[in-house]
Amino acid sequence: MPEKSNREAVLDKLREEALKVRRNSWRALHAAGIGHVGGALSAADLLAGLYFHFLRLRPGEPEWEDRDRFVLSKGHGNAALAAVLAQAGFFEESRLDEFYAYESLLGMHPDIKCEGVEMSTGGLGHGLSIGIGMALGARLQNKDFRTVVMIGDGELQEGSNWEAAMAAVHLSLSNLTAIIDYNKVQQSGHIHEMMGLEPLAEKWRAFGWAVHEIDGHDMGEIVDVLDALPLEADKPSLVIAHTIKGKGASFAEDTYLWHNNAVTDEVYEKALAELEAQS
Amino acid sequence: MSASANGNVDVPEWVSLAANQSRLSFGLAVTELAQRDDSVVAIGSDTLDLIGLRTLQKEHPDRVVDVGIAEQNAMGIASGLATTGMHPYLCGYAPFITARSMEQLRNDVAYANQRVVIGGACSGISLAVSGGTHHAVEDIALMRSLPNMTVVVVADAHQGWHATLATQDYDGPVYLRLGGRAVETPVTPIDANFEIGKADVMRAGKDVTVIACGCLVPEAMSAAETLEADGVDVRVINMHTIKPLDRDAVLAAAAETGGIVTAEEHHLTGGLGGAVAELLAEEHPTRMRFVGMPDEYAIVGPTGQVRDRYGMSARHIVDACRSLR
Repeated sequence: MPEKSNREAVLDKLREEALKVRRNSWRALHAAGIGHVGGALSAADLLAGLYFHFLRLRPGEPEWEDRDRFVLSKGHGNAALAAVLAQAGFFEESRLDEFYAYESLLGMHPDIKCEGVEMSTGGLGHGLSIGIGMALGARLQNKDFRTVVMIGDGELQEGSNWEAAMAAVHLSLSNLTAIIDYNKVQQSGHIHEMMGLEPLAEKWRAFGWAVHEIDGHDMGEIVDVLDALPLEADKPSLVIAHTIKGKGASFAEDTYLWHNNAVTDEVYEKALAELEAQS
Repeated sequence: MSASANGNVDVPEWVSLAANQSRLSFGLAVTELAQRDDSVVAIGSDTLDLIGLRTLQKEHPDRVVDVGIAEQNAMGIASGLATTGMHPYLCGYAPFITARSMEQLRNDVAYANQRVVIGGACSGISLAVSGGTHHAVEDIALMRSLPNMTVVVVADAHQGWHATLATQDYDGPVYLRLGGRAVETPVTPIDANFEIGKADVMRAGKDVTVIACGCLVPEAMSAAETLEADGVDVRVINMHTIKPLDRDAVLAAAAETGGIVTAEEHHLTGGLGGAVAELLAEEHPTRMRFVGMPDEYAIVGPTGQVRDRYGMSARHIVDACRSLR
């Protein structure tokens, strides 16, 4: 067999981490007994790409001042964030078994007190403004750290995002990237049935962002867009990542029923078996 | 401030520039702090002139970021900046910078415990002619209900300056409640000491105590003079910090005088009066009267007249004190 190219080897490693993010997300959600399955699984590949290919971090020194910043604005995806932080070495993977536990720093939503978490989120429509503040903080202190904010699609129904969308362009924050986890489903149904977002890319372009659309489950596309940041000089970058809610668990894909649902022993075993088959 | 050759004390420049407006002395103090400390940055919400940030903008254009009429965004940006080690001073209209951005305030600033100073100008019914949409008579209650939040109500422009400077090395988020456009009667000395959390006893007295904040402090002083003529000895406390409340000052007043009147330009629900009553109910039950805005929305009119209509003038404090005798 011919030796794999370096790129393929890198992508394989990232795919492996992504699979592990899914496994670990299920582990945390199973420990909790219930949780936001769909939005954790849709973001798993993106998070693996970010934490194992893009973000400059020192897991042993989480407060390192020149670190890149990542804000999970869609805070309900915390199972996946906790998973990737554990995998990156911010804390032991065994802590995932403490998801929702008494006095745990791993609750349904990220807590700034937890190692590696840059901001407490969960109230929707907050992350992009916070990211602007971080990006401005870098500029004002002549630091070259980069800020990435992951926004949920349903979350874009909150008007505060559009205040921030305006401001990031006005301030020419090319050190800021927003990634939309566009899984097309929110708590009560499909987004286009609830409060549609389309034409989404055109909206952001009209606001003045540099926009690129990718398949948010294709690691090659994820890596390529991250390597291309900033997409244009003097503009903030927006990546619209088309994803599938509940990706990797056939029974949970593309349905609002798995936005937040019980994770029984039976569900957990089924989910792990499906992931095993994909590995 | 320095003594001049003839022995008089020179009046510092900020005093005249502030023109007895605490919103301006706040802006001047932020400008001063920005010159002292590279981490200070002012975030505006279409408030450059309201707060008086043109000089800072001219001298350090990068240190003034006015994001336009978008308080939610301004609050989130301030929080994000604070996480990077900057010390943001957020400038807004009190009614909008508190209520409009309340969730960002709670989650991004208070819950995340970020070092953000929020200056809320035009509080109370200082903008009485603007109508109820522009009145802030619930902001103390909102801010006081947030863990980690420090709440300061300045009595005049002088205190606005000193209170703002006092935030330089203060930890955690702070809400500074400022006046706006309406006349502010100077009542504190230009060179007064200011310590967050330490009330100022403006007038000693043993018969009854008035605990006031903001623009009701000069009204309380005026009421005390009226009562003095009747032989009533009134203690007046400027409770500029609502949270953390100066418990010692309140408990001493309860123990040493015959009753307590609170006075504030704020709804009677949840403000200074509530804070004092909560403490006394547990620690030292005391006869009290409350001067403040009743449970309704104010009419339009000149600020002084509207304040008087709703019971927030010196004469109402006089009546309240007498009713405790």
